Amino acid sequence: MSEKSDTSDTGSTWAAAWATSQQALMQAMFPVQPGVPGVMDTQGALQEQFADLQDTWQESIGKWTELVQQGPKAAAITPEALRELFSPARWSGTGTGSFDAGLRHVLEGPKYALLVDMDRKLLALKQLASQRDKDLAAFHAIMLKAWSAAFERFSSSVASTAAEAPATWRGMADRWLTVLNDTLIEVQRSDAFVEAQRKMLRSASDHRLQEQKIAEAWCEAFHVPTRTEMDEMQRTVTELRRQLRALQRAGRPQPAVNHATATPPTKRLGTKKPRASVRS
Amino acid sequence: MPTAKKTAAAQALAEFSDFNLKMARGQQMLQRLKDEDIQIATADKEVVFRQDKVTLYRYQATAKPSLKVPVLVAYGQIGRYTMTDLQEDRSMLRNLLALGVDVYAVDWGNPTRSDRWLTFEDYVDGYLNECVEFICHEHGLPAINLLGICEGGVFSLCYAALYPDRIKNLILTITPVDFHQDQAEGRANHGLLNLWTRGLGADDIGRLIDANGNLPGELMSYVFAQMTPGATLSKYNVGLLDTFDDEKKLLNFLRMEKWIADRPHHPGEAAKQLLVNLYKNNELVRGEFQLAGRTVDLADIKVPVLNVFAKDDHIIPPKTTQALRAAVGTRDYTEIGLDGGHVGVFVSGKSQGILGKGIHDWLRKRD
Repeated sequence: MSEKSDTSDTGSTWAAAWATSQQALMQAMFPVQPGVPGVMDTQGALQEQFADLQDTWQESIGKWTELVQQGPKAAAITPEALRELFSPARWSGTGTGSFDAGLRHVLEGPKYALLVDMDRKLLALKQLASQRDKDLAAFHAIMLKAWSAAFERFSSSVASTAAEAPATWRGMADRWLTVLNDTLIEVQRSDAFVEAQRKMLRSASDHRLQEQKIAEAWCEAFHVPTRTEMDEMQRTVTELRRQLRALQRAGRPQPAVNHATATPPTKRLGTKKPRASVRS
Repeated sequence: MPTAKKTAAAQALAEFSDFNLKMARGQQMLQRLKDEDIQIATADKEVVFRQDKVTLYRYQATAKPSLKVPVLVAYGQIGRYTMTDLQEDRSMLRNLLALGVDVYAVDWGNPTRSDRWLTFEDYVDGYLNECVEFICHEHGLPAINLLGICEGGVFSLCYAALYPDRIKNLILTITPVDFHQDQAEGRANHGLLNLWTRGLGADDIGRLIDANGNLPGELMSYVFAQMTPGATLSKYNVGLLDTFDDEKKLLNFLRMEKWIADRPHHPGEAAKQLLVNLYKNNELVRGEFQLAGRTVDLADIKVPVLNVFAKDDHIIPPKTTQALRAAVGTRDYTEIGLDGGHVGVFVSGKSQGILGKGIHDWLRKRD
């Protein structure tokens, strides 16, 4: 059975249950009491009103039923779900409802199931890889054009200066390298080349950062410190080192002056250990 | 038979034969070489101070002292200080030692993600200051000579401006000051790093640092490789082949490669300051660069300044560093422009006799 027809059946069941329960409600609200004196005159009018009310109600229920049957989320609004909505038991467990999803996350931590999100991350990575490849291809196109231009220049230089045309393979190689060098340098100074390099570098960085994001998601799931956390820790260490250096400097005596000598290093340093700071 | 008189076919055959011989020779050389043959930064030195990942070295004297005040060499974070002592015959440090200079050098270490929060303040007010204080204390001196290289030159400028009493003479090499003067000479191959950085938004840089923690060394290697595309493309074929003529050339090549491969990550927060505040916003020369709430005013540098630059520096184009003349508050300002490129100043055969001697002679007059 397909999911669609499943949903439709569930919707019909629910609609029928809803209609029955509402009819029962109406009958309970407006009971018919035959044989009671003084009320017979008004009974016809009441019955007429009741019939009108019932028709309207049923019409409304019909519309609701139609709406419910159309909706793909009908499965979520089952009679069981409605019952659970008002059930105190629903609120007593931990991590069982969307309301306390945050609490569940705190109590249980990330679950492997959450790694489903990895799909989206991987998709983004794929898109970034594709962008990087596109930028790389654009850069290669510029280079290919430059090489073609260089080859044309080289060919015409060899053809037009037949008298000075290199006679050896080395001469030819040197000529080619000179022409190629000049052409490539010319191209490297063009806006198109600079922009292509910028884009290539940027998309490569973006791709790498997305890789880092994925790696960090795994790190978090497996209780491994992330790159970002390591960077933050290292930043703290760098700052502490700065402070330590400043303190050491503040506590150090200033060098004496006017004792200028050119001391050869051999005597003193042979026995002297380097003055290393506390860190290595 | 001279090459010119050969037929085209014979010439091609001779060339093919030479090529194969060279390849075979190169293969033999590479088989013989071991890792210990391509050690770099081997000048004798001792660790005299350590803090966190920072190490201060003092180099073993190799000549009679000629200066009273020692020199502290501070490299940047984009490469490593080992470039100053690449090999025995290509070493600024050894040249200075041979001239009787007492040399210290600071090694910032190998930053990892745990260093992402380090800022310019940590390097200037913290580590560099600690090193200077240590040397002052050891020598009983109120001030020392500071030699900054590249970004280390920017650290040194900041330090000299904020702690003027601790610096006797300031030497800068290949140091950017006005980050927007990269095209002042209109040379297309100059200043790609400046252009590249200006093309990025501050948020692009922020995302880059967030994603990687640091400014990845690999990214900087890529940017540098782009600056000289021809050389990059030919390095491991034509370039390497050229070294197969001579084992010494091959060793130079491999040592240089070793240095290039050892490119550290740049601590993230400090990288943001470098790229956003300096490269993009040009705050240093504008007198707007803030360190821990204090403005770095280059006009506060009143000590003698020697500014060494490379005339064909495509990374720090000459005008970006020559802007220092108008920015500092001293009249004792000297420039030395050397032929060659950014790293060539330190490692080229031609510069070996000039750089160390130029620095020594300048210091000696101000010792």
